Amino acid sequence: MAGWMSAGVDEDSKLDKGDAQKVVKRTAALLRPYRALVIRAGTLLVVWTGLLVTLPVLFGKAIDAIDRGDSAVLNRSIVAYVVIAVANYFLWRSAIISLARAGEKFLRDLRRRVFDKLLNLSMPFYDREKAGVIVSRMTSDIDSLAELVQFGLQMFLSNILLLFGVAIVLAILSWQLFLVCLVSVPLVTIASRKFQRDSNDAYLRVRDGIGATLSSLQEGLAGVRVIQSYSRTKIESERFHATNYSLFRSHMNSTRIAAWYLPVVDLAGITTTAVALGIGGWMVNDGRLSLGTVVTFVLLLQNLFEPVQQLSQLFNMVQSAAAGLNKLYSLLDEEIEVPEAVAPVELPSRADVLVTGVGFSYATGPPVLRGVDLHIGMGERLALVGPTGAGKSTLAKLIARLYDPTEGSIEYGGIDLRLASRASLRDRIIVVPQEGHIFDGTVRDNIRVARASATDEEIDDALHRIGVHHRFVALPEGIDTEVRERGSRLSAGERQLVSLARAALVDPGVLILDEATSSLDPGTEAVVEAAMDVLMTDRTTIVIAHRLSTAARCDRVGVVDAGMLAELGTHDDLVGLGGRYTALFAAWQGAQEPIGSTGP
Amino acid sequence: MTELDLTKERTGTGLRLLRQAIGEHRRGIALGMAVSILWTLAKISVPLLIRQGIDDGIRGDGSLLLWSLLVVAVGGVSAICTGLRRYVAFRNARAVEAEFRDRVYQHIQRLHFAFHDRMQTGQLMSRGNTDLQQFQNFITMLPVTAANLMTVVVAAVILFWLNWSLATLALMGLPLANYFGRRFAKKLHPAVMGIQEESAQLATVVEETIAGVRVVKGFGAEQMRADALAKEADDVYLRSLEAASARAAHLPALELVPNIGLIAVLGYGGHQVLNGTLEVGELVLFNIYVVLLIQPLRMLGMMVANYQRASAAGERLASVLDTEVEIVDPDQPTPLPDVMEAGAVTFRDVDFEYEPGEPVLRGFDLEIAAGESVAIVGATGSGKSTVARLLPRFYDIGSGSIELDGVLVNEVALDELRTAIGIVFEDTFLFSSSVRDNIAFGVPDASDEVIRRAALLAGAAEFIAELPDSYDTELGERGFSLSGGQRQRIAIARAIASDPRVLVLDDATSAVDPTKEHEIRDALGEVMRDRTTIVIAHRAATIALADRVVLLDEGRVAAMGTHDELLASNERYREVLAQGAAKHAKAHDEVVD
Repeated sequence: MAGWMSAGVDEDSKLDKGDAQKVVKRTAALLRPYRALVIRAGTLLVVWTGLLVTLPVLFGKAIDAIDRGDSAVLNRSIVAYVVIAVANYFLWRSAIISLARAGEKFLRDLRRRVFDKLLNLSMPFYDREKAGVIVSRMTSDIDSLAELVQFGLQMFLSNILLLFGVAIVLAILSWQLFLVCLVSVPLVTIASRKFQRDSNDAYLRVRDGIGATLSSLQEGLAGVRVIQSYSRTKIESERFHATNYSLFRSHMNSTRIAAWYLPVVDLAGITTTAVALGIGGWMVNDGRLSLGTVVTFVLLLQNLFEPVQQLSQLFNMVQSAAAGLNKLYSLLDEEIEVPEAVAPVELPSRADVLVTGVGFSYATGPPVLRGVDLHIGMGERLALVGPTGAGKSTLAKLIARLYDPTEGSIEYGGIDLRLASRASLRDRIIVVPQEGHIFDGTVRDNIRVARASATDEEIDDALHRIGVHHRFVALPEGIDTEVRERGSRLSAGERQLVSLARAALVDPGVLILDEATSSLDPGTEAVVEAAMDVLMTDRTTIVIAHRLSTAARCDRVGVVDAGMLAELGTHDDLVGLGGRYTALFAAWQGAQEPIGSTGP
Repeated sequence: MTELDLTKERTGTGLRLLRQAIGEHRRGIALGMAVSILWTLAKISVPLLIRQGIDDGIRGDGSLLLWSLLVVAVGGVSAICTGLRRYVAFRNARAVEAEFRDRVYQHIQRLHFAFHDRMQTGQLMSRGNTDLQQFQNFITMLPVTAANLMTVVVAAVILFWLNWSLATLALMGLPLANYFGRRFAKKLHPAVMGIQEESAQLATVVEETIAGVRVVKGFGAEQMRADALAKEADDVYLRSLEAASARAAHLPALELVPNIGLIAVLGYGGHQVLNGTLEVGELVLFNIYVVLLIQPLRMLGMMVANYQRASAAGERLASVLDTEVEIVDPDQPTPLPDVMEAGAVTFRDVDFEYEPGEPVLRGFDLEIAAGESVAIVGATGSGKSTVARLLPRFYDIGSGSIELDGVLVNEVALDELRTAIGIVFEDTFLFSSSVRDNIAFGVPDASDEVIRRAALLAGAAEFIAELPDSYDTELGERGFSLSGGQRQRIAIARAIASDPRVLVLDDATSAVDPTKEHEIRDALGEVMRDRTTIVIAHRAATIALADRVVLLDEGRVAAMGTHDELLASNERYREVLAQGAAKHAKAHDEVVD
């Protein structure tokens, strides 16, 4: 049932011959671990199809035996028929299982492999590519493959085998009659090619139509309150109607394409049968052919044209799966821009950070940082301030080695970060992002993200240390409360606290805090600040500060402007310096308003 | 309510919708069935003609050419009917799908806020999507089912008429095809659903990992995520194998069944031919018919499962379509008076509750003069947002009355009432269309000048000018994404573009960047001049813009006066304000970023 118009490929993802060959080669290589299964499935399919084709031949033989009045041959044919039919039952059964095993194992490993690759790719990749596109590699691209494995592959392979098998048997039985039967091949070929192209386009139109209708529906539901407030119910319903009926027309377009193609193939089939009957019958009457052969022809031809119809549809499915594989293989070949050293070094638990002559620019584009020199002593607190895009976040990312500098070097305890082992790097230098990202699972699972091996006690301890244990214990099921997808049950402040608890669990040597720009409710704000203070104690800390009150609490302040470290010193020094920081401070003081004032 | 309860309580409602859909398309469906029956007759005649060709043309001395040509002619009719049947069947089914989707959408758009408060978007999405697909599937299958039934009956009758003993033997195994077909559909469906479910879980792991890649990299949690994915990949694998074993258990069996008949035909029939009681052509005919019957019997089995799914989908659809629209136009609407100074609002002794037994407003009284601006202040849950939602009749009140310019709001036509009130919600929703269309949302024919002025007043003109295509910039999922503050300012522009009698700002500046807030405050002062405005806010500076402040506590007006008066005299006011003010001051403690 599946198959009709259920796949298609965009023009720009279609593979040329070279790409297609590469995809096949690579797939064959990836299939090597399940060689035995693949060979087994292939053999079973070949034997099964071969036997399937012999059934009508046996039937023809039986007819001939009847024609001759030879009951011994008739009985032998019947026994053979029974044996083959039963054998085929088991053959097909295990063919389906073997093929599914091989295909699904391949898919499972491909999913893991691609995801592992994604996890290994470094931040520059994630900054460059859209999240939606990355996700679609793991979902729609692999799903189109899965669809092929589940619904199409067996049908595709057995139909091809069946076509060849039938052709061979017919040619052996009577090559003259076989040649006559080829009369409809040109028509079927032309029609099938046209159908393939048209149905591919039709499928893409339907797919876009479904997408448009669903997002229109989604928007109408999400915005229903606004729509009612502005009395737009009628207009919006009309708009939805337009999208909905455009989808209807796309569906009908796709139906029309199938509706002319199916009769053409049907007609070709029936014409060929009639030709076999007419010419074959004439040959029987001439004594050049047996009646049984004609019967075999008629029976086989009856079942020959259905595979043709199915194949021309399955072809689109195969094409789309191949396009998906091609994209996945190029992802697997993606270069890792921040690689781990060949002989990685462990970092010491506490140390200073030395930034020497660091410059950085993205692959294309002007330098983001230039000639930054900075020494952050062990246990020092440094605030980085400056306008958006000045480069303060980039500097922080370089210190955490989410990127490598294009010039200069960054050392931790005298070890160039490029030499450090990835594991020890993530133990020693931690970035706590602005907004706490929450994964599906419990609060505890979410904290454990920082260190998979942490015990329950260690997690409790981390929460105690930053003084928020009681807050999470108060949740319905305490720390084992499930936070639904994207953490919708936790407030923004609680999500930040989870984020800080993660840092506490790791106990890093360098902590990089990205201060949140949006404000929390006053109660939580104070708790977050207290937790941050605890974390900063006895630790080298770099705060990307958005509030001058935060900067003022740090040992030193660095002002980053236009990719350079413009000013560096204590808060008091910089305020007195008469430079950028002085100006920022003046603006900030001006904005302070006493509580409850009447405003402007 | 679980799905199961629904089925039990609403037996028949799903069937009713299906019947209605079929009734509305009875002509198309009748045509589809007629074509299907013609197709069946042609299809069944072909083997008869082949038999005649063999018995008469080959073994006898009749005209082989005649029979061959007849095969082509009848086969041609069958071929044309194949295409036509498909076309008609799908046209009916797709039309039903589209019509019902329109109907669901329109109905949902008219349903009151309280309904939407209860319903999740995802649930309503599946009403308009997967449920309709089940419907469509069933209706597509109707003509084919008619043809299938016809095939089974006619072929069986012919076979019995030709040779009843051979027919009995040949058809003996065929009910098994129906049985296996039904069982296959029953086994495969849950397995396929299982794959979808596991795939969705896998997608969730991928999505949240990619969205949180900074956390994953920052803490070196790569292995943990890889393990999470490996688990999901294993689940998908296992479910897929379940589906494969459902296929393996049924497809070969379905193929074996006709072979039982064929063997009987060969064995018994072959010897009958040898005895001279049967023609060879008839033997071949039996063979072809047995094969011909398999597909219809299998599909009839699947149709049962199909019907069950369609009627369950129909029940779910009916549960939405049968929900009555609670907020409707009055029978005899009173127009709002055309007065010079419009926008006088009166709440008189209003009681209101969202959930029975949990009153939100209790004897709420408030009179707002035309052109006056009033700030409503209260702690969370005091009912301050509710006040704003009752005026445009998003909800109907329990008792008391609400008037706009001297007319009871429930006596005004809904369109007129809601056009007269411009409301800006806290969670801003913009549509995926241009900035211009979003601002002109309430007044689609607004001139450029009106749109620009509204944007200017809302403090949005400046950043709109900097957008890639200025007012023509497309917003939303596939368009440009704005910051929370920018979105709110466009929402404010949208509210004032239609020049409403009353403007309601429900915490409308909460997401505006504090450094930009003074600009909006200046702008809002402009907007509020000479226009009745209800401001719900907790930032002191925004509250101070209003002529008068109302302190709401436990669903009643607790105090009233200017901001300064209340600040000086009311303890509770200071308390409530302290939270907002603290937040406000905190937000100002910020470097330009």
